[in-house]
Amino acid sequence: MSTVPAAIPSSWATRLPRRGHIGMLSLVAAESAIFSIFIVAYIYYIGKSLSGPTPRQILVVPVFGTVCLLSSSLTIHLAVTGLRKGRARVFKAFWAITAALGAIFLTGTALDWRRMIYKLGFTIRTNLFGTTYYSLVGLHAFHVTVGFIMLAIVLIFALAGKVRQEHAEKCEALSIYWHFVDAVWVVVFTVVYIVGR
Amino acid sequence: MAEETKRAEDLPREVEMPSPTAWPIVLAAGITLLVAGLATTVWLTVLGACLAAAGTVGWFRHLYPHERLETERVEHEPFKPVTERPEVARRREVIQEGHRARVPVEIYPVSAGIKGGLAGSVAMALLAMLYGVVSHHGIWYPINLLAAVVYARPLLVSSHQISTFHIQLFLVAAAIHVLASLLVGLLYGAVLPMFPRRPILLGGFVAPIVWSGLLHSVLGIINPLLNQRISWGWFVASQIGFGIVAGLVVARQGRIHTRQYLPFAIRAGLEVSGRPQDKDPGEGQQ
Amino acid sequence: MAPDSMPIARALSLPRSERKPWLEVLHEWVITVDHKKIGVMYVLYGLLFMVAGGIEATLMRIQLAVPEARFVSPQVFNRLFTMHGTTMIFFVAMPILFGFANYLVPLMIGARDMAFPRLNAFSFWMTAFGGLLLYFSYVGGAGVYGAGSAPSFGWWAYAPLTSPAFARGHSTDFWTLALLVSGVGTVGFGVNTVATILCMRCPGMKLTKMPLLVWLNLVMGGMLFFTISPLTAAQLMLMIDRYLGGHFFDTQAGGKATLWMHFFWIFGHPEVYVLIIPAFAFLSEIVPVFSRKAIFGYPIMVAATVGIGFISFGVWAHHLYTIDMPSYGQAFFVGMSLAIAVPTGIKIFNWLATMWGGKIWLATPMLFCVGFLFQFLIAGLTGVILANAPFDWQLGNSYFVVAHFHYVIVGGILFALFGAFYYWFPKVTGRMMDETLGKWHFWLFVIGFHLTFDPMHIAGILGMPRRIWTYQPGHGWAIWNMISTFGVFVQATAILIFVFNLIHSYLQGAQAGDDPWDAWTLEWSTSSPPPPYNFAVIPEVKSRRPLWDLKHPEDPDWQYE
Repeated sequence: MSTVPAAIPSSWATRLPRRGHIGMLSLVAAESAIFSIFIVAYIYYIGKSLSGPTPRQILVVPVFGTVCLLSSSLTIHLAVTGLRKGRARVFKAFWAITAALGAIFLTGTALDWRRMIYKLGFTIRTNLFGTTYYSLVGLHAFHVTVGFIMLAIVLIFALAGKVRQEHAEKCEALSIYWHFVDAVWVVVFTVVYIVGR
Repeated sequence: MAEETKRAEDLPREVEMPSPTAWPIVLAAGITLLVAGLATTVWLTVLGACLAAAGTVGWFRHLYPHERLETERVEHEPFKPVTERPEVARRREVIQEGHRARVPVEIYPVSAGIKGGLAGSVAMALLAMLYGVVSHHGIWYPINLLAAVVYARPLLVSSHQISTFHIQLFLVAAAIHVLASLLVGLLYGAVLPMFPRRPILLGGFVAPIVWSGLLHSVLGIINPLLNQRISWGWFVASQIGFGIVAGLVVARQGRIHTRQYLPFAIRAGLEVSGRPQDKDPGEGQQ
Repeated sequence: MAPDSMPIARALSLPRSERKPWLEVLHEWVITVDHKKIGVMYVLYGLLFMVAGGIEATLMRIQLAVPEARFVSPQVFNRLFTMHGTTMIFFVAMPILFGFANYLVPLMIGARDMAFPRLNAFSFWMTAFGGLLLYFSYVGGAGVYGAGSAPSFGWWAYAPLTSPAFARGHSTDFWTLALLVSGVGTVGFGVNTVATILCMRCPGMKLTKMPLLVWLNLVMGGMLFFTISPLTAAQLMLMIDRYLGGHFFDTQAGGKATLWMHFFWIFGHPEVYVLIIPAFAFLSEIVPVFSRKAIFGYPIMVAATVGIGFISFGVWAHHLYTIDMPSYGQAFFVGMSLAIAVPTGIKIFNWLATMWGGKIWLATPMLFCVGFLFQFLIAGLTGVILANAPFDWQLGNSYFVVAHFHYVIVGGILFALFGAFYYWFPKVTGRMMDETLGKWHFWLFVIGFHLTFDPMHIAGILGMPRRIWTYQPGHGWAIWNMISTFGVFVQATAILIFVFNLIHSYLQGAQAGDDPWDAWTLEWSTSSPPPPYNFAVIPEVKSRRPLWDLKHPEDPDWQYE
């Protein structure tokens, strides 16, 4: 042989975890620590605002958006499974649905925020509740947005027919991120709309 | 390892490595300028955003559709394993031959430490109660004082109370006494083999005196009330009593060979597949 | 020899016409994704900031040498201790340790590069630019009515000193942004380290066969996610307060200043272990080689490190015994802080057991490791003292605490780092560091270190608080401060010798060869400096000491492990 690739011998390499997975899981670990701090701050400050309004007066439970976001975990799983089996059309369809569900969630949040900011005049400066609410939900929404952009880019490439079976691992790493964003929303939803109300 | 077995002509002449790229530094500079704009001027943010976008796109295109690689020529000089310092042992009596030091060769079993600790605890308790009798405080006085290390109420009550029997204080003191004695006994069992000369001097006198000195210097700060009631001469005496008895008991136990070079599975007594041929660790070198 | 691993030395040794233009060399380093070059850049960058942080420390010590000194103004003094702390932790200790990890981990696991080479370059540049951003505050952070150029609130940045009302101008913002930017780089490094160690090992290197340095860096990389991220979150909250008018740390609106304290130390204490664990890693490699024995108690060393990693996340509030905390909370943190001394003590005993009965070779790397053992023991003992809440009520925020953590960081981490410099310099450059200069460096540094930091314990017990600009005569502090200041100059001399030794040995040191220390891990089986691809053929290992197996084929390690 004259030129060898940088990779390590394949018989041994299959026994090691894949670096895309480990990298994404590490990132998820770091992100979950950031969310933990914001969630602790939110819980610690429940009911500590010196002035109104209170969560009960303001918040509307985003049932539809939550259902959309959580079900997108299933669709992205189906999409990746399809890609791994080489079924490009299944992948494209479910990937598009996932991106659409993410977009619905983001739109719901945007409309909700518009209602609170412009109709009710409730902003991040209003009181302690406003500060913690907007920063926690905003941090999550930021992560959904990042995920949505990534989903959209992959979708564009998929529609151009450039996502093939060998890209399954990268798409899977992205799906880990998306699952994480969904899981965080379960916690945020519980804390903000159930415990904190 | 492969180097030694392969000849030069079997080796690769070129290796593919990731090629250098400027996009990471462009992206990093972009993000830095982007946030620096928050503290300076918005134009810096705009510039940073442009750089960050360029960096992201460039980075992506560096990887897609194919990762850019460059080939490095192999200028191979095979590694020749040579050792100039083959022997290890400084002590000839420990290792007769070869180059593996296995120290300590012999240790006391764990049971020796437990026995020593218990024997020492009895000696110490007797000495402490003797102090109680001699000082006319009564035999319960030192026990109550020991309990006061964690349970400070007796120090606040009258000197009559502190000389009488209290079941809770007795239990607390007994627990502290037995636990501490066992731990120190185990420590003696572990440490004494490492000092082959005069273990009794070390364990019986040096260690108790060092410990008493340490306690003497800090107890006045940590717990001044308790400090007032300690009779340091008797304290040292009972510590030394513990040390000598524990040291003697430990030293009289039979030693066993260490097994530190055996795999963990064998030391733990597990039956596992693929374990290397059993070697008796006690017989020096194989 | 690799073609461009030693550009300067090669360039100087070549005739003028054959030298590479310096711009081309610079360009090569700026765009590199090679883990070895990035590692070297991390270290050089850290050394650069070490000069800055060291100058700040020296200025402070001059100011404190005598009572009622007027060498610098109080405002400047506040900036000095803030910048000194921030610089030394974020832009000296972490980059240098990361640089060593970057250089050594792929070599030790028999890999050709890190798992994500480009992310590696990105992480380094984020850390580097973060440091520049912090120091830019001296120029760009001019505040309203002289409120400061550089930040001046201490490196803890306790609320409300950082609130818009008290921190005018942009110095606080530069501090926050610098730590955010470098934090991204740090997390990137952590991701890369963990992925590299888990996914890039050479055939045969199971987790139980990894060198201890690799194991310890794996633990450190994993800790980074839960250490740096809380700081990032807290910085984001601070930014929300400052830029968007939030109320996280605004006591006027019901926020709690103590919440920042908790968040900061949830970062701050594990951070100490993030720094000390790589130092432990250096010891775990150097001590066996210079004792000519395998490490004593390998599985226990790994277990103790993992134990330290977990317990370190439960000790943060021992920095806050004096705030409003229930007594059972105090008891919990006392217990945890005492408990963490146990695995640390196990490690010390294991190093001693490794040395015991060995054929000890007191070359300079080993000297620094022996120094580490003595000083880290004392640092640990004063730590155990301070872990007790009643003691801490007395001594918290005194010079006793300053002495304690400088014993950890200088007496422990820096000593291990110097040992690592002397040990791996031949691998990085192909040349040995000068032993005579090394011995001078060691002894002067030991003397300077003890002259500087031992008296601080006494000054602290005598009641001298930290972060004071000056003090009255008659407290009995003056003599101890004078000795400390004198010690700083001895240390500075030693550092100058070290820097001279680095440059001198790089240019004119003796040729090292591949394996100058007769060592046992994989990095010594390639050339010095290693080629860009590290290993022409990926090695295969059977034990924790693959080079021992090669050198002693009649008695290999894998028969025992």
